[in-house]
Amino acid sequence: MKYREHVRSGGAILWFFQRVTGIYLAVVLFLHVWILHYALKEELGFAAVKDRIATPMWKTIDISFLVIALFHGLYGLWIVLDDYIHKGWLRVFIFGAIAVIALIFVTLGILTILPFNPGGY
Amino acid sequence: MATHAFKINRYNPDDERRGHYMQEYPLDVQKGWTILDCLNEIKWKQDGSLTFRRSCRSGICGSCAMTVNGVNMLACETQALTLKSSTIVVEPLRGYPVIKDLVVDLEPLVESLYAVKPYLITKTPLPTDQERFQSPEERAKIDGLYECILCGACTSSCPSFWADKKYIGPHGFLKAYRFVADSRDEGTREHLEALDDKHGLWRCHTIFNCVEACPKDLNPTKAISELKKELVREKIG
Repeated sequence: MKYREHVRSGGAILWFFQRVTGIYLAVVLFLHVWILHYALKEELGFAAVKDRIATPMWKTIDISFLVIALFHGLYGLWIVLDDYIHKGWLRVFIFGAIAVIALIFVTLGILTILPFNPGGY
Repeated sequence: MATHAFKINRYNPDDERRGHYMQEYPLDVQKGWTILDCLNEIKWKQDGSLTFRRSCRSGICGSCAMTVNGVNMLACETQALTLKSSTIVVEPLRGYPVIKDLVVDLEPLVESLYAVKPYLITKTPLPTDQERFQSPEERAKIDGLYECILCGACTSSCPSFWADKKYIGPHGFLKAYRFVADSRDEGTREHLEALDDKHGLWRCHTIFNCVEACPKDLNPTKAISELKKELVREKIG
């Protein structure tokens, strides 16, 4: 009986992190929907949200939301693709493409959230 | 007595050009006949070339696992009339290479089973005057785990296995957890090592096909979840 070659995966931490980020996203998404669509007294628009999202706490929440949502979604996509893509070069290409997409959206998001200052508009 | 049409997926390795094809056999199915009885009737009275595995005809050996009307089951444990269909489609277990007709090559099943070290690993020497004792409560923890007959129905129904033929599969995970959960076993690390692998535990996406397929009503998905928790506990502490 030939024994299988053991290829370490490191999947435990990522699997656990995916669960933790899933819970975080569920909580933040609920907060997001509740604050914007139910708790808001005035009509939803720039004027209604500008003061809130300029505060450091909301900048922190929004950046964490952005980074964690991108990680959770794109890592989930990779997990699905990982089952079906076996060619070495294609795996590297697709993983690279996902990483680049993540980097672009994280950068764009942070550039939008961090310098946001309603006084300057 | 009712006339049924048995559509059987045939394959003869000596006739590669023909490949896989469906062949239909009419059969008067009697009350109480299992799918295995029907296949025997066809083989003995209609077509001696029809090939399938069977041994115990009592749901113990797991030899006659096959796909009947799209569902994995043991031919010897399934009465044909309970399917409530006049057409019965019989195919070999999916995902494994077919050797002939309904006989598949279960080498991947055995190979991945060996990887999880499916035996009791002990470090402390056995006392000379007694066995390794277990309390009734400790023994109860391996209920629903030790009953696996290794028929291959679960792994054959698993999309993760269809996509990755080196995937250990639900049968391997269930067997690994049977020993991890056993109070007498002292080799948890050895059992878990093969699972934290590129083709291991993290390929399971909790699809539950294995639970549906198991003819012994076992729950490999639950065993997989327990193993995942075990591995995370080991990594994170």
